[in-house]
Amino acid sequence: MKPLYLLLLAVSIAVSPRPSWAVDFAHEVMPILREHCAQCHAGSNQKGGLGMNTRANLLAGGESGGVVEPGEAEYSRLIELIETDDESERMPPDGPRVPPEDVAILKKWIDAGMAWDPEITLGESAWEPELAPRVVHLPPARDHRSHPIDRILDNDLATRDQTPPPPVSDAVFMRRASLDAIGLLPSAEELQAFLADPAGDKRERLIKQLLAREVDYADHWLTTWNDLLRNDYTGTGYITGGRTQITPWLYTALRLNQPYDEMVRDLIAPSEDSAGFINGIQWRGDVNASQTREIQFAQSISQVFLGINMKCASCHDSFIDRWTLSEAYNLAAIYSDEPLELNRCDIPIGTMATPKWIFPELGDIDPEAPKEKRLEQLAELMTHPDNGRFTRTIVNRIWERLMGRGIVHPVDAMGTKPWNDDLLDYLAVRFAQDDYDLKKFIQFVMTSQAYQSETVVLGKEPGEDYEYAGPIAKRMTAEQLLDSIWQITGTQPVEMVADVDRSPREDVQDNAAQQARLDPVPISAQWIWHAGETGKKSELRKTFQLNATPSAAVVSVTCDNAFTMTINGRQVAASRQWTEPAYVDVQQYLRAGENVIEVDAEMFGGAAGFICQFSVIDGGERFQVTSDKTWQARRPGSEQWATAKEIAPHGAEPWGEILDIDASFHPPRGPSPPVRAALVKNDFLMRSLGRPNRDLVVTSRPAELTTLQAIDLANGEILANYLNRGAENLVAEGWTAPELLEWLYRCAFSRPPTTSERTYLLEVLGEHPDLVDVEDLLWMVFMQPEFQMIR
Amino acid sequence: MINQEQIARRTLLKQLGAASLAALGTNQPNAWASNDSIAIRHPEAKADSCILIWLAGGMASPDTFDPKRYLPFEKGLSIDRILSTFPAIDTAVDNIKISAGMENIAGVMDRGTLIRSAVQPDLGHILHSRHQYHWHTGYVPPLTVAAPHIGAWMAKVLGPKNPVVPPFINIGQRLEGVGEKEELKAFTTGGFFGTEFGPMNLPFPEDAVRSVQPPPGMQPGRFANRYRHYKKLVDQNPNRDWMSDYQQESMLRSMEAAHRLLGSKEKQAFDLTLEPQESRQAYDTGRFGRGCLLARRLVESGARFVEVTSEYVPFLHWDTHEKGHSTVARLKREVDRPIAQLILDLESRGLLDRTLVIIASEFSRDMMIEGVPGSNAKDQATNKTDILTEMKHYGLHRHFTGGSSVAMFGGGVKQGALYGATAVERPLIAVENPVSVEDLHATIFTAMGISPQTAYDVEKRPFFATKDGHGKPVVDVFA
Repeated sequence: MKPLYLLLLAVSIAVSPRPSWAVDFAHEVMPILREHCAQCHAGSNQKGGLGMNTRANLLAGGESGGVVEPGEAEYSRLIELIETDDESERMPPDGPRVPPEDVAILKKWIDAGMAWDPEITLGESAWEPELAPRVVHLPPARDHRSHPIDRILDNDLATRDQTPPPPVSDAVFMRRASLDAIGLLPSAEELQAFLADPAGDKRERLIKQLLAREVDYADHWLTTWNDLLRNDYTGTGYITGGRTQITPWLYTALRLNQPYDEMVRDLIAPSEDSAGFINGIQWRGDVNASQTREIQFAQSISQVFLGINMKCASCHDSFIDRWTLSEAYNLAAIYSDEPLELNRCDIPIGTMATPKWIFPELGDIDPEAPKEKRLEQLAELMTHPDNGRFTRTIVNRIWERLMGRGIVHPVDAMGTKPWNDDLLDYLAVRFAQDDYDLKKFIQFVMTSQAYQSETVVLGKEPGEDYEYAGPIAKRMTAEQLLDSIWQITGTQPVEMVADVDRSPREDVQDNAAQQARLDPVPISAQWIWHAGETGKKSELRKTFQLNATPSAAVVSVTCDNAFTMTINGRQVAASRQWTEPAYVDVQQYLRAGENVIEVDAEMFGGAAGFICQFSVIDGGERFQVTSDKTWQARRPGSEQWATAKEIAPHGAEPWGEILDIDASFHPPRGPSPPVRAALVKNDFLMRSLGRPNRDLVVTSRPAELTTLQAIDLANGEILANYLNRGAENLVAEGWTAPELLEWLYRCAFSRPPTTSERTYLLEVLGEHPDLVDVEDLLWMVFMQPEFQMIR
Repeated sequence: MINQEQIARRTLLKQLGAASLAALGTNQPNAWASNDSIAIRHPEAKADSCILIWLAGGMASPDTFDPKRYLPFEKGLSIDRILSTFPAIDTAVDNIKISAGMENIAGVMDRGTLIRSAVQPDLGHILHSRHQYHWHTGYVPPLTVAAPHIGAWMAKVLGPKNPVVPPFINIGQRLEGVGEKEELKAFTTGGFFGTEFGPMNLPFPEDAVRSVQPPPGMQPGRFANRYRHYKKLVDQNPNRDWMSDYQQESMLRSMEAAHRLLGSKEKQAFDLTLEPQESRQAYDTGRFGRGCLLARRLVESGARFVEVTSEYVPFLHWDTHEKGHSTVARLKREVDRPIAQLILDLESRGLLDRTLVIIASEFSRDMMIEGVPGSNAKDQATNKTDILTEMKHYGLHRHFTGGSSVAMFGGGVKQGALYGATAVERPLIAVENPVSVEDLHATIFTAMGISPQTAYDVEKRPFFATKDGHGKPVVDVFA
């Protein structure tokens, strides 16, 4: 059979449907135009009124009319002039004539319709930013606004006879700062405390406090970084092993505020944890040469870290900037395991790439070094102190997140001229001086008067003629919106999919040393209760002395059915599920001298009993505090304490061996904060609010709500479910309508309702709003542009 | 602090918001080089609406629209002798025969043109999702930009036909809970045009009405009141003037458009229970049949582009890796009647002339060849045999990209015409007038009045409706 197929293969090639393009404009026609025409008819040169920058220019002709007729080379004046013997007419007027074979190409090209790849022009090249960082000398402060950002921007505004925008109110500032720094709304209480604080430095303090909330900070910024590094929990490639997550690494880096240059070195010369980024996506089947892993690598690191678009140059020398095919391939070759052959527009051209960095002025890669070494060298070159492009790119991205528009915009086009190069260069240098500290940089921007100003109102989205006038309001990301809705309605999901550690961080080293000394000991505790009639509730307590603050202390505790335990008046543990004992590190609650343990125990029915065992290291001593007859007990309401009654030893039925000896010495760390939207899989609601699939690097989210999204918000089941559960939670608070409104408006908008809003809504809600009323109220509030915008 | 100009603009926008439903998106890619290049000249439209009937999973053309030498199942038969597992039947057109089990479609073949020479590239592994991506966007994944679905191109370039009805509706495909869902999502999208032009997804036709109704348990009166109160609150919002108009207004306009649809008479089109019993039964062969009925109702109320799919689920439906014959026999019972009924209904309503109906699949199948002859693709048949011993071996189980069928009805295509041909003997490659995905798209776009050279600026590069603007319409299929 085989030979027959081989024979027929030839047939199938012969009838290949691929449109055969007689002329390749980019590679055949363009060089001719460059060589023979560009000198007089390209860029701003338009001899005889004829410009040839674009197809349209050429078609428009010159002073004496049209010069080409697509499809009709024979009747085209352009051909006539390059072929004519008339010395007064001939083109080009001097120098060698256009060779006949080139004329033939031009004729064929015109006859075939004169296709002209619109991305190609004969014009001059784009503006090219300097590579080196540039130290900016700050202009003097105006009106005592001495923050470097304000000094630059205020002067910029002054040269345009404009005044800086006025500062925002404390309430607007708090909402903005909170959403920007940690992606959460301030609670009504936090807002009240902030507004009441008379201190002059309260804004700076708030910014610091917000950024110090490391879990909240990481939960929020994870969204931006997942987009940027195309990291996700599900998506193309994960299931087939063609792609790996970097979630645990990324989250830790954000949480510990790893310096950005270190992060990037980890990403470019990765450990297993951070390798997912440069490895990109291995697609199944044959892929276009511009989508191999090696080329993805070149594209991704250029775009993400440098704001350079290598996508064009991955196929052919770029027509829109200076990057060439060989530069793209040489960069890719740094990553490549095998020698890499250049492909132009998917066709191998027989040239091999040499591992090479794109800015040789900073140094280069040793092409002979093994891949790992090459990547290490690349990581150093990328984060080289003289690589101003590297720092400008990241500070611009963060500026855009905080101020609503990049200093270079779009933020991936770092070859575009910034609207204020002093500002961009200043920020970039400062960021490097501050050891690439992302939090410090965010704090730096947020403490400027510019950040704390009222947003500017724009009639339409700003374009290339943008001039700074103040910050621009931002649309919440899908994650911010969901987090805000969850915060107000108390409907956070229970489970997250992200593999991240959000539990409170402890002093790791000390703890490890102490834990090592706390070897498990058998459980000797007794189930106890008060003596006499069991009743539903019991109060239990124990007083004991410590010689010093203990160096370690843990407790294992449970109660059939529920309990709350305090130590020295502070709650340390509570549970309503006797089968799930609590294991808590209580070292910080104990003190030298007398300590009091108090327990409120409750039984729902059936057996009643409370049991606990402390293991404490006090100085060099190790001892146990166990529930037993040394405890006191009483029925709630009774004055008298009495000796607690021992019901049964640990291990007895009906409870069995409920306390886990091992667990008590490796207590799970304390409770984590509620799950955030960035930590769960994308769903229909978030998708329709603009959370992307992350097959590609994503550096901006849609700024606008669309009709289909609005339909989802109007009747989608996911949102309806949050509203419903949220309404249940709020109705359970037992508030009157005015109380509910006050609380809700402060949470949602960081302001009380206006008189007219209050009047209107009270009429709508009635005196005692029911579930339905509250559901609808929540929807009306969440759908306000004021809610969904960070203004 | 609010100046007169802002107040004037606010007033103007309020009026706009109430009066205009047009999507005035601002964060949108611009038409490529609109300043200095000649304006794209769109051809005159032959159709106003388009229905794509997508038989996902690889519809074997020798067992559907392109019957070849048929041999019934017989133990001991060598499979290289079999090309089709169904006999051919006559159609309403003399020179066109199609496969048994499609008698209803055979009866309407005189309303359309049958292309038998569609071809696809061999992408190594012949993966459904990648070929589906290619077929739906015109581009082979992976790409450096998110390519729009052809429905999104129509939504973007042509806009909605009836401003109340979403211009791009996708019926029958679940995007959650099925295999390769991420890959399906990758092309079921507005791509770089954004979600405004992306699909309204209606995976279950009988539940479609829920997408345009208030949330479950909410009475229409309450729903309308909620929106009324909402608008009052927006008007009273003290901070309305402190947010940029383009951001706020797009939000309010979209909210208005959503509620306009949800309160419109057009929303009845989504409700299959409003269809007369008799007519419903004519379509109801299952979920796909109901999808066809829904497509008809939506096009009647002004949808621009509707895709109805038999649904892609790996190894299900048209993705026949074994038991091909019996599976296809069942599938024909599911698709034959509703497709024919759709054509007839559109015709009797006077809509067929201006509605382009396309039946297509990502590639064809063959009993022996994977990919195209010479392909290095992995053999995907689950039960391999050279000699028939069991019924499960009887069917077209390999993916074949060398020649497949696409049927087009209405919308300016010739009636009762045949275009292209595949070989008489294996390999059944297109031997006459092969049509690439690019050219097929150019044909569809041309029928709809969209130039295949239409381009938008994405990251300063042009992105074309057909790959690199190279798609050429097959003008021979037009009347």
